[in-house]
Amino acid sequence: MKKKWVSVFMVVFLITALFAGCGQTDDSTDRSTEGSSTDDASTEDTSTEENGAYAGELSLMHFSTSEESEGNGGSDGFRTMVTEWDEANPDIALVQNVLANDDYKTQIATLAAADDLPDVFLLQGMNTRAWAEQGLVMDMTEIINNSPYNDQYDHSFFFPFTYNDSIYGLPVLTGGTTTVVVYDQAIWQEAGYDTFPETWDEVLEAKAFFDEQGMDVVAFGNSGKWQANSCFLSAVGNRFTGDEWFYSMVDKSGAAFTDQEFVDSLKFTQDIFTSGVFNPDFNAINNEDARELYIAGDASAFIGGNWDVSYIQSVLDGTDLYDTTKFAVIPQPAGADATTRTHAIGMGFAVAINPKLADDPAKLAAAIDLAYKVTGSDFAEYVGANYALGGLTKVDNVDLSNFDQFTVDFYNYSYVENKACEIYDSYISSAVWDVLNTDLQMMLNGDIDPQKVAENAQASYEANY
Amino acid sequence: MKTIQTKLLAIFLNVTLGIFSLSCIFPLIWMFYSSLKQKRDFNADIMGLPKNPSFENYVRILTNADYHIFESVLNSIRTTVLSIALIIFLGFIVGYILSRVRFRGNRVLYVMFLMGLLIPIHSLLVPIYVVFRATNLGNKWFTLIIPYVAFGLPIAIFLVEGYVKSIPVSLEEAANIDGSSFTSTLFRIILPICKPILVTIGIIQTFATWNEFSFALVLIRDQRLQTVPLAMTQFTGQFSSDYTKIMAAMLITMSPIIIFYFVFSKQIIKGMVAGAIKG
Amino acid sequence: MLNSIRPKNRVIFAYLLIPVAIYVFAVFVPLVTAGYYSFFEWQGGPNKSFIGIENFKTLMNDEIFWMSFQHNIFLVIACIIGQIGLALLFVLMINSRLVKFKGIHRTFGFFPSTIAAVAIGFIWTMVFDYRRGILNWILELIGQQEHTKVWLNEPDLVMLLIAIPLIWQFIGYFMIILLSAISSIDKSIIEVSEIDGANAVQRAIYIIIPLIKNTLLVCVTLCVAGNMKAFDHIFVMTTGGPGNASMVMALYGYKVSFMQQNMGYGSAISIGIFVLSLLVIGTFQLVTKVLSSDKEVV
Repeated sequence: MKKKWVSVFMVVFLITALFAGCGQTDDSTDRSTEGSSTDDASTEDTSTEENGAYAGELSLMHFSTSEESEGNGGSDGFRTMVTEWDEANPDIALVQNVLANDDYKTQIATLAAADDLPDVFLLQGMNTRAWAEQGLVMDMTEIINNSPYNDQYDHSFFFPFTYNDSIYGLPVLTGGTTTVVVYDQAIWQEAGYDTFPETWDEVLEAKAFFDEQGMDVVAFGNSGKWQANSCFLSAVGNRFTGDEWFYSMVDKSGAAFTDQEFVDSLKFTQDIFTSGVFNPDFNAINNEDARELYIAGDASAFIGGNWDVSYIQSVLDGTDLYDTTKFAVIPQPAGADATTRTHAIGMGFAVAINPKLADDPAKLAAAIDLAYKVTGSDFAEYVGANYALGGLTKVDNVDLSNFDQFTVDFYNYSYVENKACEIYDSYISSAVWDVLNTDLQMMLNGDIDPQKVAENAQASYEANY
Repeated sequence: MKTIQTKLLAIFLNVTLGIFSLSCIFPLIWMFYSSLKQKRDFNADIMGLPKNPSFENYVRILTNADYHIFESVLNSIRTTVLSIALIIFLGFIVGYILSRVRFRGNRVLYVMFLMGLLIPIHSLLVPIYVVFRATNLGNKWFTLIIPYVAFGLPIAIFLVEGYVKSIPVSLEEAANIDGSSFTSTLFRIILPICKPILVTIGIIQTFATWNEFSFALVLIRDQRLQTVPLAMTQFTGQFSSDYTKIMAAMLITMSPIIIFYFVFSKQIIKGMVAGAIKG
Repeated sequence: MLNSIRPKNRVIFAYLLIPVAIYVFAVFVPLVTAGYYSFFEWQGGPNKSFIGIENFKTLMNDEIFWMSFQHNIFLVIACIIGQIGLALLFVLMINSRLVKFKGIHRTFGFFPSTIAAVAIGFIWTMVFDYRRGILNWILELIGQQEHTKVWLNEPDLVMLLIAIPLIWQFIGYFMIILLSAISSIDKSIIEVSEIDGANAVQRAIYIIIPLIKNTLLVCVTLCVAGNMKAFDHIFVMTTGGPGNASMVMALYGYKVSFMQQNMGYGSAISIGIFVLSLLVIGTFQLVTKVLSSDKEVV
């Protein structure tokens, strides 16, 4: 959980006096980043002019730590944009609270519970409905319509953050796949396949070959319980049920977890994980450990998400394995005929604004401006040019000629060659997924019946959504 | 015959204790030499000694997080020292009173302090946050001292109470006859006798306070007020698993404690084992 | 205490004022607040709706909660035997004349309890690791390959495996407490008993243990209390998994409050933990009172 720490300078530059905009005051003095004055107590003073010039504090909370941005282009882009915005707004004291992802989730949940969220923060898709109902996030539909980048937005990304026809966030960071097979083409060719097999039946056949080599066929890590959901079931479920089923689940228009197609997908998942195709300790290690297996050559392939690919790229660069690493969709399960070649992709988090800012138009304008900046074309151009990644704002002609084969392949995998489907846990609610994920972990061991898993999930869905 | 028996017994005792003590110190040693490896070497051979030991991990962490680590260490030291002082002082007084003095509400207070031991911390995170925000006591240099003392008192009180029970009352009675006031007896006579248990409490609570994380996460926002466990989270990216760096970072943050512990262990043990009540 | 030396009420009051005030503020008020929340349906945020004891009814029927309770009881028993039992044993052994390096044993023994639970969890997760862990490595060394497993993924074994680091970490903790208690025993009593012919075991059972009884009881209380709310180790090692095989009550409360965003029910769980802990401790104290038929109440 530790990475190299590089940009202390960025941090020093960004972080001034850290209050987190909750009205907590006066213990340490406020230092502004550049030049002009700011208040040292709470925030509501503004030198308001009607063009929205605001001078005061703005609190932002996110999880793009400097560690995180080492291997993750989206985080790097985010931090860069925030820095640029901060420099461009010397009168505004931007107060950032940056935590690692897991801690961020705990902290933001605590703040939400206490109705004390920061001015600007990152909202997770699955919380949208609950928090919108609680009045914890501002309706941003108009804000989005007024955005200078509106025409360039890929509007399909807004879906997880929509509730009752209102949109509550601007999707942030990069839209990446959460279900990709990373494999070593060289060794699969030895096994008799030019590219990764299209069906799981073929993968099972190849198992004998890899057993002889003393390798795992596929590495996977599910100790966090969410991986099986995000990185596997989101795609496999879609192959059995098709897109409509999930949209119906989100809309509450009649689908249920206990529908046969979904149960079939669960059954398949159980079967494949008990078949020995995966590393035996998949439930005890997390995705980070699992990808190390691929890197070390102990596994011929790895299933994970775009964050894993970023990491693998940074580690393998320069080795032989780097050149022979290719990407594939999750193979087709036997008996699944709703869709093929789909992979789950989307943006899991969005920039949201605290509704209390409605009382202060100048401050609100500043917050909106920040939101536009981190999700707009500057961001998209930055991550496109540096990482071949895409964000909310579409940028034309991403120049792929600057990138190596690995990056180009992954870009094509993510955005060009395959069909997109939704990421399950960007929607519905955390209560439901927590129940499903916990049961899923047991199910992968063969300790609980898929039908029961579906029933439990359905019960939680009806109670909590 | 007897000497062979005794010899065997001696061997058994020493070996058992030896194994135990070794198992207690081994993790520290393992973490240390593992932190001198790079990630690849570590993954290849977890238990083995490093082939090319280097302090690179430490250099990276220390040079890049300079201002922050040291600040957090200072914050932790200040918070811990003040909290411990209060816990020992107040715990002693309350423990003694609860143990010796009969008054209305004695049992009630006892149970009330017992409750503090039974509550899982996480269930209190949101209420504590609300309380501190309402009273505007959050996010200050002294903020964490309050819950640390409050949650540290029960253990101190119980340990003192149990310990005091084994002190014969005749001691206080004699002092009283000699004209000593309650306060004077308490601090001049009882306190020195309780030194072993107070030292014990101090040790236990020092580590508990130093390592505490949950309250710090919830009650402190200002990065400059962070304690060590909180500053550690700055090292955590969302997805990464460089165990050698994790261990280096852990050792850095544990080092004040470890140094403190080993330097003072002689005194500490002496303090604990010394006192014996005469008469 | 004789009335003549008992201090006046206002003196007592003055002494108790500050500690009680701090305690009430930082512990009691939040506890009561948590209790208050448990009567609401509350997903976080400003809207709560009062639902009376609904949460508690759900709690009574919550399978996962009661399974967690069983796991906690298991830990309590394992730790009383393991932590306190072994601690007592080791302390008595250390006191023996036959043992050398007493200082080292005391110093090293306590060391694990100074380390944060996160580090301990991490270390032991490595011990149990399938590929690289010491446990499997030893098994292979002694030719028992077929017994190597993914240890933390075994639902039947996982609670036992979790108890091990917990016990290991806190033996030293209780050793220190017991050590200070034993040290307060008047040496002359022990010397006299030796002269009278009591051997080490007899001295231990008939003299030392009875004299530190109060401290022992406090240790048991601390052990029970600590294990009823065990959280950190399990969180780091398995997060309650696989599935719910190692779920404990405090972790369940955390999951419900923070991962399922159901704060009202989460508060009810906390109250449940609290009540159950009181009951368990109360039972222990009752049992010991009966067993020792002593007027001294801890």
